[in-house]
Amino acid sequence: MATAYARIRLILAAIGLLLVVAAPVAAQQPNSVNPTASAVKEQQLLQQNYRIQGLGSIPDVKSYVIEQPMGRTWRLFHEVWLHWFGAIIILGVIAVLLVFYLMRGLIRIDGGRSGRMIPRFNSLERVTHWMTAVSFVILGVTGLNITFGKDLLLPLIGPDAFSRWSIMAKYAHNYSSFPFMLGVIILFVLWVKESIFTAVDIRWFMEGGGMFGHKHPAAWKFNGGQKVQFWGAALGTIGVAGSGLFLLFPFYFTDIYGMQIAQMVHALIAMLFVGLIFAHIYIGSLGMEGGFEGMATGEVDLNWAKQHHLLWLEQELGQGRTAAPPAGATTRPAS
Amino acid sequence: MRAFLLGCFAILVVGAAGYFVLDALQQPSGAAYTTDGARIDPSWSWRQTATAAQPCEPRRVWQWIFVDFRHPNGEPRICADSQ
Repeated sequence: MATAYARIRLILAAIGLLLVVAAPVAAQQPNSVNPTASAVKEQQLLQQNYRIQGLGSIPDVKSYVIEQPMGRTWRLFHEVWLHWFGAIIILGVIAVLLVFYLMRGLIRIDGGRSGRMIPRFNSLERVTHWMTAVSFVILGVTGLNITFGKDLLLPLIGPDAFSRWSIMAKYAHNYSSFPFMLGVIILFVLWVKESIFTAVDIRWFMEGGGMFGHKHPAAWKFNGGQKVQFWGAALGTIGVAGSGLFLLFPFYFTDIYGMQIAQMVHALIAMLFVGLIFAHIYIGSLGMEGGFEGMATGEVDLNWAKQHHLLWLEQELGQGRTAAPPAGATTRPAS
Repeated sequence: MRAFLLGCFAILVVGAAGYFVLDALQQPSGAAYTTDGARIDPSWSWRQTATAAQPCEPRRVWQWIFVDFRHPNGEPRICADSQ
């Protein structure tokens, strides 16, 4: 028992001695460097969104930037957030279209084809449309390669082929941007008058655009959905073309921070644009019978026009345009 | 089909015009990303340090458009890898 008490006294004495020695050391801490506090300051410094800038004597002001913490945020956006955003938009649109197709199927011409065709788009409209469309596909594929190629394509084709494809894709992206911008400008001029929303479009939207059920609301040359597509494409082009020019001419108009913002704007709008065009391609091909012909041949079936663009058809017929049967076609009366 | 082909042809024509515009206005990336006023050779690249004895021929823009990765006789293969 005595031995146990002796051991306890020894331990208490050791603790007391430790406190006596440690107290002055602890008291000195505020006067020394506190690594934790420094880390906090550094973190605050790195979280500055703009830049840490010094002074310089050479003409290039952008060289004065010593550190650019925004670069970390931009890299996180480019490598993580954009992947998620793009995947959700693109796969989401595809899923919605798939579900819609499974539920609604092909939107057929209710009365069948009449065999009588009426002109819908002239040569200038069709050539410009296809110039814009093919340019967009090139821009979309090569642009998505920048975001997803490293994850999806590189493992499949290897680094050499991926490098060469990416170099080619980068130049194709740059050069096809010019016909795309030109095409959108021409189409805007050609179609803006017919793309202004009217009360007819409100009724079109209220009736679901004829997408559900078999009732087809009347529309002029372009229905409400096509007008949404038109203005979406116009505004989307302003967004991607404006930001794209910043990227095409680095440091001409802005500094590195501005270019990072331009790239983020460019990528986000481009992803939304791809989703919009997926829906456009679907309804113009798989989704609707007779819809593709307007852009393929320039003419549409009379019954198709009656079903989807009744007001426009009446206007066209009223102006004396005839609905002639195509050469060699068997004619059925228009219902 | 004719409208589609004409549209594709128009892309080539306007794209070629874009090439001339960019060729006239854009700087080579080595120059565009190099600090102005600093005494750095804008055409410097890691390749030149690797091939100091036999420098690489700069590639023209059309060679990139047509993905022309040929290299002149005697030029090291490394020059064709990337510029």
